[in-house]
Amino acid sequence: MRHQWFLVLMVAMLVLVGCAPAAQPTPVPAPAQAQQQAASQPTPVPTTPPTAVPTEAPAAAPTEEPTAVPTEAPQAAVEPVQLTGAGASFPYPLYSRWFYDYAFRNPSARFNYQSIGSGGGIRQITAKTVDFGGSDALLTEEMKAAAPGLMQLPTVAGAVVLAYNVNDAAGTAVPTGLKLTPEVIAGIFLGQITTWNDAQLVELNPDANLPDQDILVARRSDGSGTTFLFTSYLSQVNEEWKANVGAGTSVEWPVGLGGRGNEGVAGIVRAQPGSIGYVELAYATENNLSYAYVRNQAGIFIEPNLSTTTAASNAAVADMPEDLGQLLVNAPGDDSYPIAGYTFLLVYQDMDDCAKARELISFIEWALSEEGDKDALELLYAPLGDAVKAMVFERLAGMTCAGGQPIPSR
Amino acid sequence: MSNSLWRKFVNVLMHAASALSVLLAVTALLAVLGYVLLNGFSALNTDFFLRLPTPVGIPGGGVANAIVGSMIVIGLATLFAAPIGLGAGIYLSEFGDNWFGDLVRYLADVLSGVPSIVVGIFAYALIVSRQGYFSALSAGFALGVMMLPAITRTTEEMLRMVPTTLREGALALGVPRWRTTVSVVLPMGMGGVVTGIVLAIARVAGETAPLLFTAFGNPFWNVDVAKPIATLPHTVYTYAISPYADWHAKAWGTALVLTGFVLCTSLLARRLGRQRHLS
Repeated sequence: MRHQWFLVLMVAMLVLVGCAPAAQPTPVPAPAQAQQQAASQPTPVPTTPPTAVPTEAPAAAPTEEPTAVPTEAPQAAVEPVQLTGAGASFPYPLYSRWFYDYAFRNPSARFNYQSIGSGGGIRQITAKTVDFGGSDALLTEEMKAAAPGLMQLPTVAGAVVLAYNVNDAAGTAVPTGLKLTPEVIAGIFLGQITTWNDAQLVELNPDANLPDQDILVARRSDGSGTTFLFTSYLSQVNEEWKANVGAGTSVEWPVGLGGRGNEGVAGIVRAQPGSIGYVELAYATENNLSYAYVRNQAGIFIEPNLSTTTAASNAAVADMPEDLGQLLVNAPGDDSYPIAGYTFLLVYQDMDDCAKARELISFIEWALSEEGDKDALELLYAPLGDAVKAMVFERLAGMTCAGGQPIPSR
Repeated sequence: MSNSLWRKFVNVLMHAASALSVLLAVTALLAVLGYVLLNGFSALNTDFFLRLPTPVGIPGGGVANAIVGSMIVIGLATLFAAPIGLGAGIYLSEFGDNWFGDLVRYLADVLSGVPSIVVGIFAYALIVSRQGYFSALSAGFALGVMMLPAITRTTEEMLRMVPTTLREGALALGVPRWRTTVSVVLPMGMGGVVTGIVLAIARVAGETAPLLFTAFGNPFWNVDVAKPIATLPHTVYTYAISPYADWHAKAWGTALVLTGFVLCTSLLARRLGRQRHLS
């Protein structure tokens, strides 16, 4: 008996000790390949990621033989710089894709981004437990005072859509394209419009044959950048909303059923007939939910998609504030979808670690390049317009490290 | 109705009720296991165990780093909790029949009732926010804190089951008290103590909340305990709340691996426990 527990302990130790180094060789084939590729290309031309064989690749990036492309991030010869970030969940899928692809181009840096929510991201970057933060909400004056020198850099834009699940009076599902005005949206979320065949809804959608069914409002129960965008929009377009509810990452909802996260709201809408809720565009399309066209400032009903989101970004660029903290709600322009917003990377203008600062800057420059845009489009995020990109690059150029030192070059 | 008939009726009724309860409890367990197996099995392949995770839109990829990461974190937790828990348990069983022993027992019971998220915040405040970075070490500490009361109390219980006559026999031969504890009591109770440790491991292996703000997660390989590390429960959490079907499948696969690990650990603990009684 005594031998047995000893044996078990030994085995456990062996597994623990053995697994760590034994597991590492697995990705070793990758660096060899990566180095071969690097050797075959004298200039630091980026290699293409697997599967993402470009259809409209920039001329500078030659198409690789797909079999030669490593399927795992290469292990650098020197220990790579590890950068840690945390924050908004909305851009998480894109960021993880970006960091994955970027690891092929620059094996000297590893970026680790975890989705803990915008509020958490702001707190962690303020406490400096992470090297950069992510947020969908704007920094308030209070937050800026708590974290002096923190910049918000837009990376991509996203749209918040009104997803619904309702069958018309004949029993067939109402498809994407129900028309909604700001007043009607506010009316629904204020609890004033309670049935699908309300006169205001029927007037906007005479052909939809809307049923005599109660509207179930789905909204977020947790603090969220999506809620911030949506309530900011309603506050701008509706006085009653502004006076009674207001804008914020979480608000006192007059009506509705709360779901945790975008996925929670999407889940309610999918499961409950007669429901309507606000989610990020990607969640609506990935969950095959129908969503509404919303009337914009110019009076046109706009389908939420990447080009109407980019249009909103371009139309609003003239009003971009100095700190880049701009909401894209109710943007002017015929093609602008009215409920959109940027997601931001939160970066200190003066970073403590010079090597990290250098890697972060070159990553952001890459992410906002044509290649980064390609990843964004594939995952349904709207890339920034050139004017906004130029503003971000300007901020990057003004960065310093270790108390005012210039950023070292490679 | 006569008294005896009534009593028979109640007897049958209660039997049926308890049988039904057992059935419901077992069904719940089997349903969870079956559902995880059904959804998770299709996600499993060799890549799943040997590869790093891939982001959305890139097929393949696995959770190899999370499997290794979980082992490292649990290993650290055991290294932290086992010696302290063992020592505390020995103290409680051999020398703890006083007010201080009662206090330690009470505090251990309170600690085992502390919600896991609170333990996570504790580890965050104590280690992460002071050091300024997330690390495998802080995660090991958080899980270790959760294992500590379980190991302490099972060690105590197991050592108490060692017959007093053995202790008296050793003492009668002139063996000092500490020697009695180390050479007589501890070897006799060791099987049960190891079972307790393994059960504690099984209990914390699936904890997610303490890892959110300690282990943090990492899409790359990491065996450095001072860096953020990927773990299985955290991987399930991140994948499950994403909008992508591909990631949902991986979440199920990871959940299956995790469930399998916890199940195997529990079975191992049972085996160890049974062998102790046989010998």
